[in-house]
Amino acid sequence: MNGGIPVLTINDVANLDGLLADFLKKAEAEMTVVIDRGGNVISQYGDQRLMDVTIIAALAAGSFAATCELARRIGEVEFNALYHQGNGNHMFMNSVDEDTIMITVFGSRTTVGLVRFYSTAAAQSVAKLLKSLQRGGHGLHFSADDISAAPIFTDPPTVAAK
Amino acid sequence: MSIINYASREIQFKIVYYGPALCGKTTNLSYIHQRINPRNRGDLVSLATAADRTLFFDFLPLNAVVIKGFVTKFQLYTVPGQVIYNATRQLVLRSVDGLVFVADSQWEKMEENVESFKNLEENLAKQNISVDDMPCVLQYNKRDLPNIAPVNYMEYVLNNRKKRLQSFEVISSTGQNVFAALNAVSQILLHKFSKQSDVPQSVAAPVAIPVEPRMAQKQSAPA
Repeated sequence: MNGGIPVLTINDVANLDGLLADFLKKAEAEMTVVIDRGGNVISQYGDQRLMDVTIIAALAAGSFAATCELARRIGEVEFNALYHQGNGNHMFMNSVDEDTIMITVFGSRTTVGLVRFYSTAAAQSVAKLLKSLQRGGHGLHFSADDISAAPIFTDPPTVAAK
Repeated sequence: MSIINYASREIQFKIVYYGPALCGKTTNLSYIHQRINPRNRGDLVSLATAADRTLFFDFLPLNAVVIKGFVTKFQLYTVPGQVIYNATRQLVLRSVDGLVFVADSQWEKMEENVESFKNLEENLAKQNISVDDMPCVLQYNKRDLPNIAPVNYMEYVLNNRKKRLQSFEVISSTGQNVFAALNAVSQILLHKFSKQSDVPQSVAAPVAIPVEPRMAQKQSAPA
C-alpha cells in the first residue's frame, strides 16, 4: 500500500463486507479477515468469537512472509496460498495483492477445495476494491492541540507491601 | 503503515522495539503487558525458542482513545536481536510507524548496539525510509548494572546526528521509564500523523464523524 495512508470510508467498508459476506456464504466458511502484510487488519467478516483477530493477523502476516522465503528457495516468488489443517477448524490464507493477504477460517461444514475455489475470485474483487481506496492525506482533521498531552499509557503505582 | 477505518472508528499503528540480542526488548513488552489495564490490551504473544530467546517476534496489542473518539490501536512488536535473524527483522519492520531502539548500557555491548543501529538503518533503507523521518526514541537500558557506560558516551555513540532522538535511561526489568519511552514514541507518531491530514485537492475528503451511507448518498445527490 505504497503512496500514503489507506482510508476506509463507510462505503468502502460496506462494499468490502458485501464481498466477504458473499464469499463466506458460497464457501460455507466461518470467518474471513483481510490484512496487510505488516499484520494490520483491514477488514473482517463472520463469526468473530472464533479468535482474537488482531493476534491472528500478526501471526498470519509473519507466517506468510516466512513461507515467501521458502518459496524463493525453489524458484518461486511466493506461495499464493497456504493451508493449515486442524482437527476441527482449519485456516486458508491466500495472497490478494502485493500488500494484502486474505485469511479464511472454516470448519467441517465445507472443504478446502471449495474455500480455495471461491477465495480466488473473492481475492480478485478485494484487490480491485483496495486499489481504489483513497491514498495520500487521510482527511482525519485534527491538530496537534487535539492530541492529549497526558500520557497515553499509564503505569499504575505499585501498592506498597504491608 | 497506519490504516484508518471510518466504519469501526479505528486507527492502527505499528511500533517496533529494535536492538541487539538480550538488550531487553521482550522485557519491555512483558512489563507493559503486566502493568497495563487488561481492558486496554490483548494477549502478549511470544514466538520464542525453548531457551526463551525471541525466534520470530513478540506481539502486544494495546488500545487507547486519543483522537476524536477513534479507538487507536497500537501494535507493539519486538524483533529477534540475534545477528542471524536479519530476514525476520526485515519482515517485522514492514509497515512500521514508530520505533523504540533499545540499547544495552553495558560497556561490552557497545559494539553490538552500534551494529544493531546500523542494521536498523540498512533495513529501513530497503523500505526507502530514513530513521530521521521515522518517529523513534532511544532507550539506554540496564542502568542498574555496575559496568555501564555513562549516558554522555552513549549519546555520542548512538545519538550523534543532526536530528537527535529523544532518549531515556531505562531499567526494563523494574519498569523504570518503560512507559515514558512508549508514551514519547506514541506522541511523536501522533503528531506526525496529524501533519498528514491534508487531503490532496483531487480527492474528496471523507467526513471525520461517520454518517449513515444512505444519508451520505442523499447529501451528494444533485439538487
